[in-house]
Amino acid sequence: MSAPTHVPFRNPGWAGNTGEFDLTEADVRGTDFVGERPLDGGHESAAPSYPYMLPDKDPEAVLFEGPYRERFEKIRSRYPTARGALIPALNLAQELRGHISPETMDEVAALLGLASAEVRGTVTFYTMYNKRPVGRFLIQVCTNISCSLCKGEEVLDAFLRHTDTELGETSEDGDFTVIEVECLAACGFPVAVQINSRYYENVLPDDVSALLQRLREHGE
Amino acid sequence: MSTVTLTIDGRRVTVPEGTSLLHAAEEIGVEVPHYCYHPALSAPAQCRLCLVDVEGAPKPMPSCVTQAQDGQVVRTDEGLAREMRKGVLEFYLINHPLDCPICDQSGECKLQDYVHSEGRAHGRGVEPKRVFGRDDFGGDVLFYGDRCVMCTRCVRFMEEMAQDPVLTVVERGDRAVIDTFFEQGLKDSPWSGNIVDICPVGALVSKDFLHKARAWDLDHTPSVCPNCSQGCNIDIHTRDNVVHRLKPRENPEVNGHWMCDYGRGQYEWMNRSDRLEEPFVRGEGGWSAPGWDGALASLRERLEGCRGPVHAVASAHASNEDLGALRELAERLGGGDIVYRSPRAPDEVPMPGFPVLTRRRDLAPNTRGAELLGLRRVGSDDATGGLDEAAAATGALIVLGDELADQPEDFGSRAELFVYLGAHPAQAARSAHFVLPVTTFAEQEGTFTNVQTRVQRFEPALRAAGDAQPAWQVLGSLTASLAGEPVPASAAEAFGRLAAGVPEFEGLGYDRLGVHGAPANRPAAVAGER
Repeated sequence: MSAPTHVPFRNPGWAGNTGEFDLTEADVRGTDFVGERPLDGGHESAAPSYPYMLPDKDPEAVLFEGPYRERFEKIRSRYPTARGALIPALNLAQELRGHISPETMDEVAALLGLASAEVRGTVTFYTMYNKRPVGRFLIQVCTNISCSLCKGEEVLDAFLRHTDTELGETSEDGDFTVIEVECLAACGFPVAVQINSRYYENVLPDDVSALLQRLREHGE
Repeated sequence: MSTVTLTIDGRRVTVPEGTSLLHAAEEIGVEVPHYCYHPALSAPAQCRLCLVDVEGAPKPMPSCVTQAQDGQVVRTDEGLAREMRKGVLEFYLINHPLDCPICDQSGECKLQDYVHSEGRAHGRGVEPKRVFGRDDFGGDVLFYGDRCVMCTRCVRFMEEMAQDPVLTVVERGDRAVIDTFFEQGLKDSPWSGNIVDICPVGALVSKDFLHKARAWDLDHTPSVCPNCSQGCNIDIHTRDNVVHRLKPRENPEVNGHWMCDYGRGQYEWMNRSDRLEEPFVRGEGGWSAPGWDGALASLRERLEGCRGPVHAVASAHASNEDLGALRELAERLGGGDIVYRSPRAPDEVPMPGFPVLTRRRDLAPNTRGAELLGLRRVGSDDATGGLDEAAAATGALIVLGDELADQPEDFGSRAELFVYLGAHPAQAARSAHFVLPVTTFAEQEGTFTNVQTRVQRFEPALRAAGDAQPAWQVLGSLTASLAGEPVPASAAEAFGRLAAGVPEFEGLGYDRLGVHGAPANRPAAVAGER
């Protein structure tokens, strides 16, 4: 059996990774992508659950046009009811706009023919929808059991101190928003921190300053 | 239909297959506490209060959605079930403000009742409670988030019955709260008052009723909504002879569990204080107040000398008995034309989830009864005009209940005899020879015939103003004395006389009408609403 000649994807943030990123976004994904999603929608089963975190978000972006309209139609066609398509449609809206404002809720409701109140109920139930604009880097620090045992709260404090923000507030330069989350499902490698769609594991309070510096200089 | 037999709290009960445990328990008089379940709405089984202990089941079962099975042994009143409820109720009180002394629901609150009967006597919480405060949902509805038990009955009502899902659960965990889409509110839903009714606690309360009365001070009188021809069954809630609110009374044939906001809101007129309180007679020396005996004696004298067709103006707010007595008197005097005026709304407002209930165009309770009794509708949709003939009548003129607000001051001045029977003074009745005070529907017993031609009883909720008497009694005693017959002694007897002369009512009596009314004998081919 010959070795695979093509490695299509290597998660640069997986467990044990020490941060030696040798691939660029284009290396990993090629150029056939909209945001973090392949133009053809990717594998059907996974398509609605991909994380959508674009570094460049446009709160004024139209819902939806161009390739995003195609993706929306594809999402809509996958569900027997409009209500079923609500969550992936909201994911798409957040990917574009960076957060789900009341206006966005109204627009998504109109697109799917649902009641605005119901969309609001769904958006507010799920913590991964940003109800307010967030910074270029959304830093989610886990303080659940494993991470708490390994100084999760101190890591959180370090992020807040070094970004000079309050919990949930965005720094003045618009770069960072730090929030506390419950379990990122990386309990084997505490403290787990998710920055946009990347995981950073085994983070210690002392690492925070350098990590932020690298984000400022090189992006994710 | 096949049945199943099971044992609940040691008692055997046989119910149709598919019955829920909660209903099966009801059959033997056992009320299983519950919040989220409502007979007219879907059952999400989320309040966890109706959990019962089913022998052999691995854990407690929600009785509202668990179907009764043959041979099941269920305990609702002891052991696990009781412990469960005690625990669940303690959770409910974690963030509850316990502000019963200033809460409108106090006295009719399910949380209060359940905790009082089987909750812990003392709370164990030491943490501060989370506070939401209150929110104005628009219309007549005020929301106190801290009292809410998250049963979502209101959310489901708006979705399933009003079919206008403006309510939702926002956020999650202990931050979860009922809300509309931001400041949008209930968008003037015509059915919003019902969410106040079905709220088991004091989370949704009526602004109109806010801090007006304590629940235990209110008297409840079964009645019929007088504000449109649907005739929703209601309870009139009074305290100290004042109507404070109208609440729907269940009747699956007419209004289900519901009523509309329009009907619910129109009750202040029952409390009007500008009332006619004693009979007045206008003679040559001006007005006098001779009391009922004197007034009726002289009226009878005048009527005897005044045979011939009469003109009569009635109101569709008057009961079948009143209108029937008027008709009988008119017939005895020589027949004539009885007309009525009634306001009409431009359109009907059906409840989407229960379209039997519709706010009808006719905004009076007894238009169908008036039609069955041969009354003729006149005037326009705002209940004005149409009385030119009556105004210029030269013979006998009888007005019952119509306040003649749009009529000139010389209304009926050419009439040989003008009798005005009303609850309120009327400017246009100054030419009347007799002004006789009658009771409103809220002060008397009687029946209305609704748009479905269903005859429904109502009972007196208020004391009569002054010496006012029901119109059927006044008119009935006049007819009786003219004919030398006994005077009808009760509304039931007045209805009996009426039923003898109207085929649709034949055989119907107060006993048969009961609390939910009964359809008239056959759908009468009557003009009007269809």
